[in-house]
Amino acid sequence: MSDLSKSLSVLKDLGIAIVQSIDNEEFPTLEFPGRGTENLVYDEESKQFVLGKTRVIRDSSNLRHIKSFTQLVWVASYAKQLLQAGRTCSLRDLYYSSEAFGVEFADQAESNRAVTDLECLTGIAREAFGVFPEERSSIYGQVTMRYTVAGYEGRDVDLTLSPDGLPIGPALVTADPVESQAELILAVESGGMFSRLIETRAWERFNAVLIHLGGQPPRATRQLIRRLHDNLNLPVYVFTDGDPWGMHIARVISTGSANAAHIQGLTTPDAEWIGVTADDITKYSLPSEPLNNADLKRLDELSRDVRYSDSIWQDYIRDFHQLQRKAEQQAFSRHGMDYVVDTYIPEKIH
Amino acid sequence: MNQDNSLHGEFSSISPAEFFYRNRQMAGFGNPSQAVYSTVRELVENSIDACEEARRHPDVRVSIDEERSGIVRVTVSDNGTGVPYDEVPNAFARVLYGDKFTARQRRGTFGLGVTMAALYGQITTDSPVIVVTQTSHTTGRYYQLLIDIENNQPVILSDESYEREGPGTEVTIRLKGDLNRSRERVYDYLQLTTVASPHAHMELAINGSSIMRMGWWHQILPAPTTTSKPHPHGADLELLRRLVADAGKRSLHDFLVESFQRMGTRTATRFLKFLAINPRQAVNTLSRGDISRLSSALRSFDGLGHPDGKCLSPIGKDAFLTSIESVFAPSALTYGSRGPTEWSGNAFIVEGVVAIGTGARTAEVPTLYRFANRVPLLYDSGEDALTKMLKRVNWVQYGVGSTTPVSIFLHLCSTRIPFKAAGKQSIASLPEIEHETLSLLRELGRSLKKTLKRGERSVRNAQKKREFDKAMKQVAQFSAELAECDAVPSTAELVHRLFEVGHHV
Repeated sequence: MSDLSKSLSVLKDLGIAIVQSIDNEEFPTLEFPGRGTENLVYDEESKQFVLGKTRVIRDSSNLRHIKSFTQLVWVASYAKQLLQAGRTCSLRDLYYSSEAFGVEFADQAESNRAVTDLECLTGIAREAFGVFPEERSSIYGQVTMRYTVAGYEGRDVDLTLSPDGLPIGPALVTADPVESQAELILAVESGGMFSRLIETRAWERFNAVLIHLGGQPPRATRQLIRRLHDNLNLPVYVFTDGDPWGMHIARVISTGSANAAHIQGLTTPDAEWIGVTADDITKYSLPSEPLNNADLKRLDELSRDVRYSDSIWQDYIRDFHQLQRKAEQQAFSRHGMDYVVDTYIPEKIH
Repeated sequence: MNQDNSLHGEFSSISPAEFFYRNRQMAGFGNPSQAVYSTVRELVENSIDACEEARRHPDVRVSIDEERSGIVRVTVSDNGTGVPYDEVPNAFARVLYGDKFTARQRRGTFGLGVTMAALYGQITTDSPVIVVTQTSHTTGRYYQLLIDIENNQPVILSDESYEREGPGTEVTIRLKGDLNRSRERVYDYLQLTTVASPHAHMELAINGSSIMRMGWWHQILPAPTTTSKPHPHGADLELLRRLVADAGKRSLHDFLVESFQRMGTRTATRFLKFLAINPRQAVNTLSRGDISRLSSALRSFDGLGHPDGKCLSPIGKDAFLTSIESVFAPSALTYGSRGPTEWSGNAFIVEGVVAIGTGARTAEVPTLYRFANRVPLLYDSGEDALTKMLKRVNWVQYGVGSTTPVSIFLHLCSTRIPFKAAGKQSIASLPEIEHETLSLLRELGRSLKKTLKRGERSVRNAQKKREFDKAMKQVAQFSAELAECDAVPSTAELVHRLFEVGHHV
């Protein structure tokens, strides 16, 4: 069974279950795993964090549930329409579309939650329903991909086609790598660093597929990283700012986010964080700023997070605590424009 | 001392008729529009009193016709007892002649109003008052009467036999009046009269076309009032002297017990002991000083029970609620009542109804409808004691003002209503009446608040149900689309069951 027909049949079954219970004059209920961080457990088999045993129940006879119940059923019916028409839409499109159906969302965060509820309920990622986020990461490197999306089937794209990099959208995520000279994947947090690495031909020097994350990357980006890693057998290195937020970007790529713990295929467990670590700030004498209250609070949260229980990650956290300072990726520029390419990255990737 | 009368002009007395003509605004005849209203009002009040006297359901017909610009003919007919024929000339053409000077509740008080209307008509149009009346077991008579103003004596222009359909009286007065400007007041007055006298029926025709027929909201006739003995607190010097003069050689103790209400033998004994007067002293041996002392002691004597209420005729809970429901169709209403108690020996009761959804407007103070001895009061509300008390209450605290219009109907009934003027439009400020009114208003306010809360809750529940109903319909529709079935399942039964009475959500 194809992904499309599987998705369609899951949605149909959902509808049948609700219709039947109304016909039986019973209030329909929906049950799916809870998404709180306390319900995150590590799954040895998939080497990622998954949702635990806690379940939530949406009961349509409960006046406090009826609104989110309606929203969830609407998102399902809207997803079905997208699938049948072979269309995609962004999370923001979906938020605005709801009005035409008389379904109300207080804000986009609420509609995003309804979409995630549908993922938890069906076990299918929203991308399979054609729903994508607005923001796009970019990719650049010596890999040729072959599209599978309708209208572009069989067409190839060389990922060095544009000096700006190519945006990672639904088409690229579902494309298959057909040719590659790449030996590793280097994912970087900031756009400035991404451009620097393209301009200085670092991709050639390291045989790297460069990926611009742009903060916490969209799921499509994480999914693509995972696919390239699996299909081309490439090691993954993550290069971020030297602060708790940058560190967590790397951690989510390898262990998953709480919000998408119900989705398989997004994590790359052996992705490696190369820095900037607290150690690097000292070692490379980087210009730095003191950690502010928000940084310190985040650091404390991370120190209690199950995803950081390894001693190596506890060490990273402790180092930041002791140093009390943070630095951006661009801080290497103090040693000259090419220092990061000539010195730092070669020392970090083996 | 030498007095020179010429320096002071000529002293003379004027007749009551002349006095009231000169001061006609006092009696409610100050301008042409008020004159029409007052004429209708005086005649209607007399009619209803006459019907109640006869223990009949009043059926009063008012017709007003504009003969030419500024001249109006008012005719009011009733199905009452009729006026004894030898009394007709005095009753309609002699000022301050009447049978209503007793201590019980009546609409009219002095027998002044009708003659005042006749007097005003005579002065402004030079026309006589026309009276057709029939008492039981007779065929009826027709009169045309004028008032000899200087001598306050009736002048009979005609007096002949007349066939009428049955007992009752019909009075016609031509007067200078402004029909257009009085029209609405007359309408309001008659409508509110059916509120305060729910056993009565009113008809109004203007220039030959029927404008209103309403009333008979409540079938039970009010119990007839009985004249009470005076209350001790009303024993002013004049009253006491008159009673003493009638009592002869009776002992003081017996005199008190027989002459006053609330004065049993035990109370009388206690009272006289307190005054240190020999209870066996004969009344006719009391000196002027004794009587004066007795009067002030009686008026300030505490420890008397509530005054006798049999002289009063409150509208009563059922009748009041029924009539307001019939006339105003409010969404909710509550009744309250205080008394009987007394002011200067005059028994009174204040009763009221608070009604939601009847006021013309929403405001921070409810719309007030005033009634005194079953008569609606339409003018001079600003100076009225009831209005003042209404404004003293903080209605916002009882939930008034937001969205729902609220009306309050207050009825003061008393053996004597302390009107501010002979026009009988506003009630004077007396501490006893103000106190009882304020307490009643607060009581009504508290029940209003409860009712409003209940209303809000039911509105909220209805809204919740509507929203839930809509959501369930959407769920059914979307899931039918998912399931690819053509028929959208019905959720009506589910929603109905969830919001069934008694199911708390």
